[in-house]
Amino acid sequence: MFFLQSLLSGILSGGVYALAGIGMSLVFGVMNISNFAHGDLMMLGMYLAYFAFTLLHIDPYLSLMLIIPTAFLFGFIIEKVFIHRIIDHPHQNQILLTIGLGLIMSNTALLAFTSDPKILTTSYSSSAVNILGGISLSVPLLLSFVITAVITGILFLFLSKTTTGLALWATSQNREAAQLMGINVAKMSAIAFGLGTALAATAGALIAPVYYIHPLAGHTFLLKAFTICVLGGLGSVVGAGIGGIIIGIVESMSSTYLSSDWKDVVVFIIFLAVLLLRPQGLLGKKGEQ
Amino acid sequence: MKQIAIIAVLAGIAALLPLAIGDSPYFIGVLISVLMMAALSSAWNILGGYAGQYSFGHAAYFGAGAYTTMILISKFNFNPLVSMVAGIIVACIIALITGSIVFRLRGHYFGLASIAVAEIVRLSALNFDFTGGAQGILLSDVSLWGIDLNSKIPFYYGMLLVLVFTLSIALNLRKSKTGYYLQAIREDQDAAASLGINLSFYKNKALLISAGLTSVLGSLYAVYIRFIDTTAVLDLRLSIEIILTAIIGGVGTVWGPVLGAVLLVPLAEMLRSNVIGDVLVKQGIVSENSGLGVFLKGNLAHAHVLVYGIITVLCILYMPKGILGLFRRKK
Repeated sequence: MFFLQSLLSGILSGGVYALAGIGMSLVFGVMNISNFAHGDLMMLGMYLAYFAFTLLHIDPYLSLMLIIPTAFLFGFIIEKVFIHRIIDHPHQNQILLTIGLGLIMSNTALLAFTSDPKILTTSYSSSAVNILGGISLSVPLLLSFVITAVITGILFLFLSKTTTGLALWATSQNREAAQLMGINVAKMSAIAFGLGTALAATAGALIAPVYYIHPLAGHTFLLKAFTICVLGGLGSVVGAGIGGIIIGIVESMSSTYLSSDWKDVVVFIIFLAVLLLRPQGLLGKKGEQ
Repeated sequence: MKQIAIIAVLAGIAALLPLAIGDSPYFIGVLISVLMMAALSSAWNILGGYAGQYSFGHAAYFGAGAYTTMILISKFNFNPLVSMVAGIIVACIIALITGSIVFRLRGHYFGLASIAVAEIVRLSALNFDFTGGAQGILLSDVSLWGIDLNSKIPFYYGMLLVLVFTLSIALNLRKSKTGYYLQAIREDQDAAASLGINLSFYKNKALLISAGLTSVLGSLYAVYIRFIDTTAVLDLRLSIEIILTAIIGGVGTVWGPVLGAVLLVPLAEMLRSNVIGDVLVKQGIVSENSGLGVFLKGNLAHAHVLVYGIITVLCILYMPKGILGLFRRKK
């Protein structure tokens, strides 16, 4: 019973991690950039959901309708103003630039919203449904999971059925060849970064009802998102989805059977093990390590 | 030869500074921070700048030195110098384990793996009992050869000594066989390997030198502050500050990290101690009781990391080779 319980809650929280991981993987795939501001973009999503709820009285799940376009636009602009200028620079400069952008976001949030953690309490925040007699599933996590599944489905259709989606796909396969085929790769990069930002903010908004909202919350999620991407294969969207669920389960299992203090250590050990044994990830392409 | 003379002259000036500014613990404190960051960043630069292996986890070695020293002194009453040597050994062991994992990886993966190792070290220190967990370790009393360790002056000279030592190593290394090999690895790993350079050996050598020096600074810092916890000595932010200092001065140069520290540390200190907010209020630019005045007084102290972020972004966009890189291009 314990096993099933922690398996199911792991899968549910893994869904949200997957969303964050997919966003990062998309950016990596199309732009070949490790985005160290990803966690802070998630944090911004948390605050957007919080303020939409407290100031505008919009339910956090409904507020996604506002958050997704806002975050997309924000990411698009960030790419146009900053990221595109270093797209041909060495990796370490790209990493440092995104670290810098992340520091600006988290510390501006610290100045604007202070370091007091905020809590978003909805009428259903602590409610749970019981299934199979005895296994309880948190309602907000369940809702988040369903929304995650829907968004992932839409994203997948977008990437595989629309012209822009296919152009993104082509850019991530081979940037130069895509450019030769007449794809505007600069525009694709901005779209990919916008999508990545929107996915990060969505993941943030989805966990806002069950997590402390804090300016430095992004840090934890950043490292988790990286682990998920590496596990799934950097650049692989489907891999990141699976990686997210696996990390959710690993966390939940290590909390149940080990101690919740050590769950992050377990995640990082898996991260290093994957890097050593299968650096291309579960579903990644070989040769990019 | 010229460079060694410059080190000697600057060290001489630095050695006289405490006499010049008199007995001001605050300024000595700021100077100690400058010397420490200059040395940390120079040590990082041997691996990151010379060999091009950007470690994002150097806090792990700083923390290894700090924690080993504090545990040995506070629990087993060890001599501080012996504890420092023990710290070097622990840091080198962590470095060897890290090296065996991360040096097989390149590009993005290397940076990510170095963070993962450092986070494992941090979380372990946070969760084990013998490291004091979240409470950290407090040192009530420490002594060495009857020197008054309540004063900041011995630590000022200690940091200066380590900085001079680190700079001499960095200088010698640059013109040595190892130094040239490291630079070859930085420019093109595959080409270096095909010329017969043992990549793994030289990368690990650079990492061990860098980690050992970093741990000495961690030990000194711990005994100087007499309190450590994971936020102070093992945080990712420390690793990032070390890199930024080198980047802003000029990565891969001997003097870049020193220049970066001289500029950045006092700036951060001014923001942290709210000097800028005070000046604005005193000059009457901002009224103390206005909304903005209260906000600045209350919050500007948190802003130093924000300023670091802005400087990083501007630096990467406009002078990725750092301040010294600007001069080099003009020549």
